[in-house]
Amino acid sequence: MGFHLDPDKRVPLDRAATLVADGALVALGGGLSARLPMALVRELIRQGRRRLHVVGSAHGIDVDLLVAAGAIAVCEESYVGFEQDLGLAPAFRRAAERGTIEVRESCCDTILMQLRAAEFGLPFLPVRGVRGSDILRLHPEYGEVRCPFTAETLVAVPPLRPDIVLIHALLADRQGNLHLEQPYVLDERFAAASRNVVATAERIVGTEEVAAAGITIPGHLVAAVSEVPFGAHPSSCYPAYAYDRPHLADYVRAAAAGDGELACYLDRFVTGVPNEEGYRKVVGEEQLSALGRWSDSTKVWKGLFT
Amino acid sequence: MSRAGSFSLDEWFVVALARTIRDEEVTFHGFGSPCAQVAMHVAKRTHARRMLLVEGATYACNPDPPFIPPTGNDASLQRGAAYRMRFEEFFDAAIRGDVDRMFLSGGQIDGYGNTNVTAIGTDDYPTTSPKVKLGGGGGGCNLAATIGHLTLWTTRHRSGRALVQHCDFITDMGHRTPAGSRSELGYSGGGPQWLVTELGIFDFDTEGDSQGAARLRQLFPDVDVETVRAATGFELRVAPDLSSVRPPSAAELAVLRGIDPLGVRRSEFSAAELRRTFSYSASGRCQC
Repeated sequence: MGFHLDPDKRVPLDRAATLVADGALVALGGGLSARLPMALVRELIRQGRRRLHVVGSAHGIDVDLLVAAGAIAVCEESYVGFEQDLGLAPAFRRAAERGTIEVRESCCDTILMQLRAAEFGLPFLPVRGVRGSDILRLHPEYGEVRCPFTAETLVAVPPLRPDIVLIHALLADRQGNLHLEQPYVLDERFAAASRNVVATAERIVGTEEVAAAGITIPGHLVAAVSEVPFGAHPSSCYPAYAYDRPHLADYVRAAAAGDGELACYLDRFVTGVPNEEGYRKVVGEEQLSALGRWSDSTKVWKGLFT
Repeated sequence: MSRAGSFSLDEWFVVALARTIRDEEVTFHGFGSPCAQVAMHVAKRTHARRMLLVEGATYACNPDPPFIPPTGNDASLQRGAAYRMRFEEFFDAAIRGDVDRMFLSGGQIDGYGNTNVTAIGTDDYPTTSPKVKLGGGGGGCNLAATIGHLTLWTTRHRSGRALVQHCDFITDMGHRTPAGSRSELGYSGGGPQWLVTELGIFDFDTEGDSQGAARLRQLFPDVDVETVRAATGFELRVAPDLSSVRPPSAAELAVLRGIDPLGVRRSEFSAAELRRTFSYSASGRCQC
């Protein structure tokens, strides 16, 4: 699989999501409450995707929602949760405790080194830590290597080459050049190591505008791009909007209650709406535009989080 | 918020964390760590003005946030930072030994400073499903190997479930695990240096038979040794020079209250711990 050279990669969101097959090894861009590829996550659930093996660094509602919808077989992240503020990830936790998903918990730095091995075209790379940690028990695929120069023994990790990575960008052009705002988290590394990049963007604009803002991920790595305003909601996509803490809190409550309440959330926001336009309507224009007013003043910004 | 001249346990606790940072250190906190996050900004604005403060999820260098938000990678945590590292820049620096201190917590912490943020309720996870699947360790299991010093903390010591004889699962290595000691594993970082709890402060022996074992050094003044012993799962060792935690200064309290107007630090404490308040007496000593 080489570079993607089509001059125009714009597709509707539902077509972009078809690039993710059942059982695929899927990397998730963004992290925690920032720039999660939520429109793609919701579309995968609408399309009934199953048995996904999902990898990422530190994640939240993206992974939890996919688990809640029964789309995931294997979770391989360094963290899944809602931080100290909203606590454990309810659907992820329940599935892990019941054994209905396999959790191959990993470490941010190990994942980084595995992605680099894939980017470099190398069969493994060594990592400095992990020995002495029970994380080793979760990864029978790791090996050991003795350094030929220092004789040190190090843990060796295999390349991580996702079938596809889902990324939400602030800006894109028709060739798939993407501009992201920091933190990029692992998006650049995922883009280079994966076979395919599928992107959504707040706005698709001319190449000059993306280049002026700065191209974070080049179009030749990107297979498809779809314009989806508020495509990261309820996570943030600064400077366009802050994260929607009340929405996340409502989700965590529903997911913790499980059964009927969780089914109700899924129906109301995901499967019961035909597309993202429907999603934005249910969330409400007023709520969405309020998230964009974070820059009015520190008082307004703080007010979004209380 | 406490009255002028008085302060609450959550405030004192954060100041105690801040004081574990030395000036000119490169310091980092993990995400989901509001107490450590606020503590780093307190240190940066009081006794450690030349430290390099690296934010936990934005990797911003020395930001000047208008407030600490309830999530770790909000844009407010990049405000005022002239430079923001990439994810890999931070991890590379930490692994090659250029980061001096990291804050780490855990659902369980044992007497050698090993921490568990992965799974509780079974000692052979993943063979047996856990009672509680925790969120996971982020970058800890590599970072703990090479970062200069670790400051550990927990706000749930009194529960009796946080400081344990053995972790059900060791996510991040402290001083010694069944696999060996840090030096046997070739780890260049110094490991846990301090363990701050809502009851008191431990350090770790640096030599002798008890090398790497936690030792109670300081108590909050409304806590006695027997309370700590009853809440601690490992055998409690008490330093001969056990003392009281030094009260926060007016400057430390002012900085803390300014940087954390949302009170995100309070989310780490039970309601009962948040009711603990203290005041300065005329002699300058602290009273409960």
